[in-house]
Amino acid sequence: MRLKIGALGVGVLTVALVASGCSKTTDDSDSSGGDKAVNVQAGAISYDAADNKAPAPAVDGGQKGGNLGVFLPDGFEHLDPARAYVNVAQMADQLLVRTLTGYREDGKGNLKVIGDLATDPGTDVNKDCKVWQFKLRPGIKYEDGTPVTSKDVAYGVARSFSPDLSEGPHYIQQWLTDKGADYNADYKGPYNGGAALPPGVTTPDDQTIVFTFAKPHCDMPYAATLTTTAPVPAAQDKKTDYDRRPFSSGPYKIKSYQLGNSLVLERNTNWDANTDPLRTALPDTFTFNFTLQADAVNERLIADAPADQSFLGWQDVQPAQLAKTTTPDVKARVLEGPTQYVWYYYINTQRIKDLNVRKALNYAIDKDAVLKAIGGTPAGTPATTLLSPTVAGYQKYDAFNAPATGDAAKVKELLGSTPPPALVLAYANTPPRAAQAEAARKSLEAAGFQVTTKSIDPTNYYTEVGRKDNPYDIYLGGWGSDWPDPGTVIPPLFDGRQITPTGNQNLSYFNEQSVNTEIDRIGTLPSASDRAAAWAALDKKIMTDFAPVVPAYYDGAYTLVGSKVGNAFDSSAFGWPGLINVYVKP
Amino acid sequence: MLRFVIRRLLLAVTTLFAISIITFVLFFAVPSSPATVMCGKNCNPTQIAQVEHRLGLDQPLIDQYGTFVKGIFAGRTIGEGDFARECPAPCLGYSFRTDEPVLDIIKRTLPVTVSIVIGSAILWLLIGVSLGMASALKKGTIFDRLAIGTSLVGASLQVYFFGLVLLLIFVYSTGWLTAPSYTPFTQNPGQWAYGLILPWITLGFLNSALYARLSRAQMLETLSEDFVRTARAKGLPKTKVYTRHALRAAITPIVTIAGLDIGAALGGTVITETIFGLQGLGKASVQAVEDLNLPIVLATVLLAATFIVAMNIIVDLLYAVIDPRVRLG
Amino acid sequence: MSVSPDDPYLQVRDLQVQFPTEDGLVRAVDGVSFSVRRGQTLGIVGESGSGKSVTSMAVMGLHNAARTKLAGEISIGGTNIVGMHDEKIREMRGQDMAMIFQDPLSALHPYYKVGVQIAEAYRVHHPSASKAEAAKRAVDMLDRVGIPQPQRRAKQYPHEFSGGMRQRAMIAMSLVNDPALLIADEPTTALDVTVQAQILDLLEDLQREFNSAIIMITHDLGVVAQIADDVLVMYAGRAIETGSVEQVMRSPQHPYTWGLLASVPSLHGDAEIDLVPIKGNPPSLINLPSGCAFNPRCRYAGQNGNRSFTEAPELRSTGQDGHHVACHLSAADRLRIYQEDIAHAGVAQ
Repeated sequence: MRLKIGALGVGVLTVALVASGCSKTTDDSDSSGGDKAVNVQAGAISYDAADNKAPAPAVDGGQKGGNLGVFLPDGFEHLDPARAYVNVAQMADQLLVRTLTGYREDGKGNLKVIGDLATDPGTDVNKDCKVWQFKLRPGIKYEDGTPVTSKDVAYGVARSFSPDLSEGPHYIQQWLTDKGADYNADYKGPYNGGAALPPGVTTPDDQTIVFTFAKPHCDMPYAATLTTTAPVPAAQDKKTDYDRRPFSSGPYKIKSYQLGNSLVLERNTNWDANTDPLRTALPDTFTFNFTLQADAVNERLIADAPADQSFLGWQDVQPAQLAKTTTPDVKARVLEGPTQYVWYYYINTQRIKDLNVRKALNYAIDKDAVLKAIGGTPAGTPATTLLSPTVAGYQKYDAFNAPATGDAAKVKELLGSTPPPALVLAYANTPPRAAQAEAARKSLEAAGFQVTTKSIDPTNYYTEVGRKDNPYDIYLGGWGSDWPDPGTVIPPLFDGRQITPTGNQNLSYFNEQSVNTEIDRIGTLPSASDRAAAWAALDKKIMTDFAPVVPAYYDGAYTLVGSKVGNAFDSSAFGWPGLINVYVKP
Repeated sequence: MLRFVIRRLLLAVTTLFAISIITFVLFFAVPSSPATVMCGKNCNPTQIAQVEHRLGLDQPLIDQYGTFVKGIFAGRTIGEGDFARECPAPCLGYSFRTDEPVLDIIKRTLPVTVSIVIGSAILWLLIGVSLGMASALKKGTIFDRLAIGTSLVGASLQVYFFGLVLLLIFVYSTGWLTAPSYTPFTQNPGQWAYGLILPWITLGFLNSALYARLSRAQMLETLSEDFVRTARAKGLPKTKVYTRHALRAAITPIVTIAGLDIGAALGGTVITETIFGLQGLGKASVQAVEDLNLPIVLATVLLAATFIVAMNIIVDLLYAVIDPRVRLG
Repeated sequence: MSVSPDDPYLQVRDLQVQFPTEDGLVRAVDGVSFSVRRGQTLGIVGESGSGKSVTSMAVMGLHNAARTKLAGEISIGGTNIVGMHDEKIREMRGQDMAMIFQDPLSALHPYYKVGVQIAEAYRVHHPSASKAEAAKRAVDMLDRVGIPQPQRRAKQYPHEFSGGMRQRAMIAMSLVNDPALLIADEPTTALDVTVQAQILDLLEDLQREFNSAIIMITHDLGVVAQIADDVLVMYAGRAIETGSVEQVMRSPQHPYTWGLLASVPSLHGDAEIDLVPIKGNPPSLINLPSGCAFNPRCRYAGQNGNRSFTEAPELRSTGQDGHHVACHLSAADRLRIYQEDIAHAGVAQ
C-alpha cells in the first residue's frame, strides 16, 4: 500500500488526496505504460548467499562520477526515515540510509528482497513467522565513521512510535503491539521518559536484532525494507529537526537542503561498497530540484538541454505533452511501465446486492473511454484482475471476457427482465476524475442504467466513500501495494471483518465468509510461493464468484530521463526510476 | 500628518485583525480537517485524533486564535514534552506539512516574489509610462498607433500564455536562456537578474501595456487642461510644458494605481511563479490553501493584506506630497 | 520691427482658422479682420462657438500647427506670426502678448505655488534673471494687482486663494513681462458680480499704467460697455458687426447684436425688464446654413425675399465712420425695426 506522488495538477499535494490509507490520489492524471509487455513480478525473498553478497553487482557500462539530477515538483514532505512514506522520499532515503532489507532489481523486472544492513532477509526463528532475527553485516559505518549497531536500528523503530513522527508506515509497530491503529496507545517512543526499546524488540548484541510478534507476519522481510528499520543513533536524534538532516548510513550524506528549492547530496566517505549488496553509488553528487512544475519538468527533459542531460524526472509526462515524446530521440528516453497501482470501480455491495447486476456492471463500463479521459494508453492499460502485474504471483485472467470498450448487449442478456437499477456514481471533483466519471456515466447509460453523478470535494473523497453508510453505488478508487505481495492488496480491500463505520479501505463493503476464511488460511502458509499462488487463485475467485469491483485499469508510469542518465529503469518496488544504481554518462 | 499616519496605522491593525479572524473562521468552515490531510495514508480515527491534538486543532477555535495572536507578539511553545519547540515572536507557527517554521518559509519565498515584482515594476513603469506619455504627445501619428496597437495586444494577453511563449522561444527552442531560477541578490546580483529576466519581461510587458494605455489617457487629459494652456501661453518651451507641467499632473493617478498594483503583486504573483517554477510567496500560499496548511495560509493572507494596506497608506502619503491640494487628516 | 505709436499694435487681416476633423472641415474663424492700438481695448463678443476664443488663441499662436489651417495675417508689433516658426512665436508669447483665462482655478497649475508660477513666466523671457530676482518680481506683481501680503501669498498654492484673488494672480502672471498686448478671455465669467467689477477696474488701471492693448473676449455686452473702446461682434466664425462701443451699443445694426443686447441684464438697468434671449442654437461650423449663417434664428430673414438664404452678407459700412454690419436688411429697415421692436422695449440701455 504505497502512496505515490502522481502527476499533480497545480501542485496538489498527494497526501492531501489520500485520505484513506493507501488509496491513490484523486487528482492523478498521470500517464504511462503503453502496451509494453508486463514483466511479471517474481517477488522472491532470496536467502541465496550469492544474491545477498556485497558489493552490489557492477552496472554494465557504469561510470563513476558526475552529478545526477532529479526534478521533483514540490519536494519531499519528510526525509526522516520514521516519517517517509511517499515513494519519492523512500527512494531518496535509499541513498541516505540503509535498512534491514532491500530490493535488488536488475531493470528487467526481476526483483529480490535481500539483506541490506542484515546479512539476509531475516531469519524466521521458529518457522511460524512470529519471531524474526536479523544479523547485521560487519563494518557498516555512519557518516562520522562510528559503526552502525542493531541498537540504532531498534532506536529507529522505537522513535517511529512517537505520535510526533507518525507519518511513516505503521506495519512493524502494529505487528509488535498487535493493537492495530492504536499501536502507540501504550508506547509512544523513547521520548518523555519512554523506554529505549519498543515492545517486542530485543538486541542481544550490537549486530543482532530480534522482532517478536503476537501473530504470524510472514511479510516481515518486505516490511523490513521500509525506512522504519533505518538505523538512527540516539545521540543524533534531533526529533522533528531530524527531517532536515537524517544522519547518513548510506553512500551519500546531505550537503545542503533548502526546502522548496533543492537538496544536494555528496558522498559519505565512510560508506564502504563492500558492505552494501544493493548500491553501486556511481555519481559523486545528487541534486534534487524542487522548483519546477510538472509540465516544466518534462518540457525540459524533452528539450534535453546540456545542463539537464544528467537529470531524470520523478514526474509523469502530462497528457498534453505525450505527442512530443514520440520522436525517436525522445522516445528512447521514455521510461514506461505499470506501477503497483490498480484502479477499480468499487461497487457498494450493501446497495447493489444482486450479483447479476455487479457482473453486468463489469460488462457495462467502457474501460477504454475511462482511460482515454486521462490521456489514453500511456495513463494505463485496461485491467481485469484485482492484483497488479507488478505483484508477486500475479496471474492474468479475465472473469468476464468483456471487451475493454464494454458490451451493452451482454448487460441486457445478463439482466434479462430485471430492470437495471438506478445508480449513484460518485467522483472526486478534479478535472481528470470528472472526465472519467463522464465517460463511465455514458457507457453505463448506453447499457441501460440510469446514472446520477455526484461530485465530492477531492480532499474529502476517500473519507466520504470510506463511510460505511455512504449513499453511493459505484466509485473509482486506486490501490497500490506497499510491497509487491498480494497480502497487501486483497486483505485490506476484501476482508469483510475489517469494515468499520468510517475510514474504510474495503470500499465495496464486501463481506464474504468463504473469502475471509481463505484470507486467514493463506496468511499462515509458510512458503512465499505457495502464498503467492493462493492469492492469485483467490483474486480470480473473488471476481468470478462475487464481482465486488470492476477492475478498471492498471496505472502506468511514463517518465523521462536526460540523455546522459545511465541505467535508469522503473523500479518495480517504487514505480519510478530508482537512484541507487544510476550513473552519469560521460 | 502624524495624526493621519497614526490613524491609518490603527485602521490597518484593525483591518489585519479582522482579516486574520475571517481567515481563521473560513478555514475552519471548510469541511475537510487538515489532520486528515496530514495523516496521509495512516488515516484512521485514532491517527486523526492524534494529529489534531499535535496540531492543536482539538482546542476551541477561540483558543487557537488566541494562541496564534499570542505567538505573533510574544512567541509561544509548540509541541509537548521532548517535542516542545520554542517559537520566538513573531511566531507564525510551523507548516502542518513539513514542520518548517512558517517564518522561514516567508523568508525564503518573499524575496523571490519581491524580486519578481521590483524588476517587473521598474520595467512596466519605465516602458509603460514613457510609451504612454510619448504616444500622447504624438497622438495620431504612426508611432502612437503602433504603440497603442501593441499595448492593446499586450493588454489582452495573459501571463500564462505570454510567459509560456517566452519560455518556449528563449529556453526550450533556442536555448538562449536557461530556465528561470532564483539566486539571492546578495549572493550574485548578475545571476539574480539573469534568472529573472523572463518573469520580468512577462509581467513587465503585460503591465507596460496597461500602463501605456493608462498613461496615454492621463496625459491626453492633462494636455487638455487649462493649466497646460497657461504654461504654453507663458511662452514656456515644449519640454518644460510637458515635463514640469503636464507630466507632473498626469503622473499622480498613475502613482496611485502603481502603488496598489505593486502592493497586490507583493502578496504573490501566483501565475508567474507557477509558470517559471519560482518558489515565491504566491505559490507557497496557493499550495498552502490546497494542503489546508493553516499556519501558512494565515501568514500569507496576512502578509498580502499588510502589503496592500501599507501601500494604500504610502500611496496616500505620496499623493499628499505630489498634490498640495490633498490634506491628510 | 518697430511700429509708430499711432499704428495699431495688433493688426489682424482676413483671418481664417480651420480645423480638419473626421466629420469635415470646421471653419472656426472665417475672414475676420480687426486691429487694436496700445492703450485701447477691443471687446470681442459672441456666444460660445462664435469663434472669439479661437481668434484669441490664433493671436497667441497657441493653435497646434499640425491640426489647424491658419490663413490671413496676424501682425503683432509689426511681426506677422501666421506661418512663423513655432519657436519664434513661443519667444513672443508671454513677452509681447499675454493672456488671462476664464477660470483661474483651472488655469493655474494646482501643484505649484503662485509665486513660483509667476516667477517661472518671468524667467522664460528673462533668462539672465536669478531665481531670487524672479521671485521678487513675482511678489511685486502680486502687490501691483492688489493682493495684500504678497510676500506670504506668493508662497501659497492656487487653491488657497479666493476666486478674485486667483484672477488677480493670473493677471499678475500675464503682466509680469510687460506685454504690449493682453488678451483677456472671459476674465470675469467665473467670478461673482462684485468681484467682476473689481477685476475690470483693475484691468483698466493696469492698462493705463502699462499702456497695453487689450482684447476682451466676452459674451457679456455689459462688460464690453464698461471697458472696451471698440467692439467686434462674432457669429459662426464671422464678424457681423464692428464699431466703437458708442456705435454698437447705442445703435446696434445686426439682429444678432440686438439679441445679445437684449439678453444682458444691464448693470445699471432695470432688473424688472424681461430678457429677450436669442432663440435657437448657434449653427454647426461644419455645415453652416446657406446664405446668412444667422438666418435660422433671424426673425427678419424673410424680409428680403430669399437673399438671406442664398447669399452671405458682406460686412459693409453703416455710414457711420468705423461702424460696419453684415446684414441683408436695408439701413432703413434696420432703423425701423430697432426703434419699433427693440429700443421701444427699452432694453438697449
